[in-house]
Amino acid sequence: MTNSERYKRAFSALHASGEFMEVKTMNKTKKRYIPRLAAVCAAAVLIFALAATAYAADLGGIRRTVQVWIHGDQTNAVLDIQGGEYTLAYTDSQGQAQERGGGGIAIEPDGTERHLTEAEIVEHLDMPEVEYGADGSVTVWWRGRGLDITDSFEDGVCYVMLTDGGETKYVTVKYEHGYAFSDTAYISPDTFDGG
Amino acid sequence: MRLTAGEAYEKYADRVFAAAFSVCRDRADADDVTQDTFMRYIARDREYESEDHLRAWLLQVAVNRARDVTRSLWHRSRVPWEDYMAELPFEEPADSHLFGAVMALPERYRTVLHLFYYEDYSVSEIASLLNTREGTVKSRLSRGRKLLKNTLTEEWNDDE
Repeated sequence: MTNSERYKRAFSALHASGEFMEVKTMNKTKKRYIPRLAAVCAAAVLIFALAATAYAADLGGIRRTVQVWIHGDQTNAVLDIQGGEYTLAYTDSQGQAQERGGGGIAIEPDGTERHLTEAEIVEHLDMPEVEYGADGSVTVWWRGRGLDITDSFEDGVCYVMLTDGGETKYVTVKYEHGYAFSDTAYISPDTFDGG
Repeated sequence: MRLTAGEAYEKYADRVFAAAFSVCRDRADADDVTQDTFMRYIARDREYESEDHLRAWLLQVAVNRARDVTRSLWHRSRVPWEDYMAELPFEEPADSHLFGAVMALPERYRTVLHLFYYEDYSVSEIASLLNTREGTVKSRLSRGRKLLKNTLTEEWNDDE
């Protein structure tokens, strides 16, 4: 065995953690809470809007229990879907009943708009989420892990790459103007505005 | 050519980490350096001549960044490399002997040895990557080999 072969075998024991990777640019921009978000996929542009207050209507839509990640905790939640909008009711880690809602539209490649389907909403609930704290902090959440990007904005934009197993999400966050993500590349901040 | 950040990370993260660890001898620092290296890759939106060019650029950034980290004051209270080495899954006892012998060397020898034996770079390529003279690389490589031979005896060949 050559020295090179010995060396390679010995140092092949080293591996990057690979658990979580952030990509960010450095600048400080701190503003206040505006609960909006946008998401982008290859087939259609999905635009979601989070509502801070409950969605109260109960007009015979779809209701079921789902497992979702809420700020780092996996929990059961009751999901109601009504015409492309949803409410999610769950109990937080402090034992308090919480409810959140949202919804939006899908824009097909030909420009036509339609309500989000149940599958798209359920899929969206497993997607990265951006949270604005009352203290001006900004956190990206995905599958139980949170990443503080408060000090990582440059010109109001932060690029974040998230990895989990074999999956990668490229997230573009516009401060207080929504965020977009895809599985293959960063979405240009010029192409969306959820503010 | 240019790989997506995910492709580049999947393909080169372990190499970047190994190079960074060879310099700073600290797992947390090496992980930070690895992430920082790929942050810079994404921020530097340009084409590379080839994958060899990309690999050299990533390793150059990693080595330079790891040296910066090593020189910073807060680095000095981190976990000893011996503790991390004890956790590594070496295939053979000789692997841990070699790893420990390299880690015990001064940084100027570790970096050159790593680029030569792990990355298969030539003396001139290492000199270019480290922005130093070929004579310096040659002397460090020669001295590093002798030190390894003294420690490892029959587990290290007399090669050039």
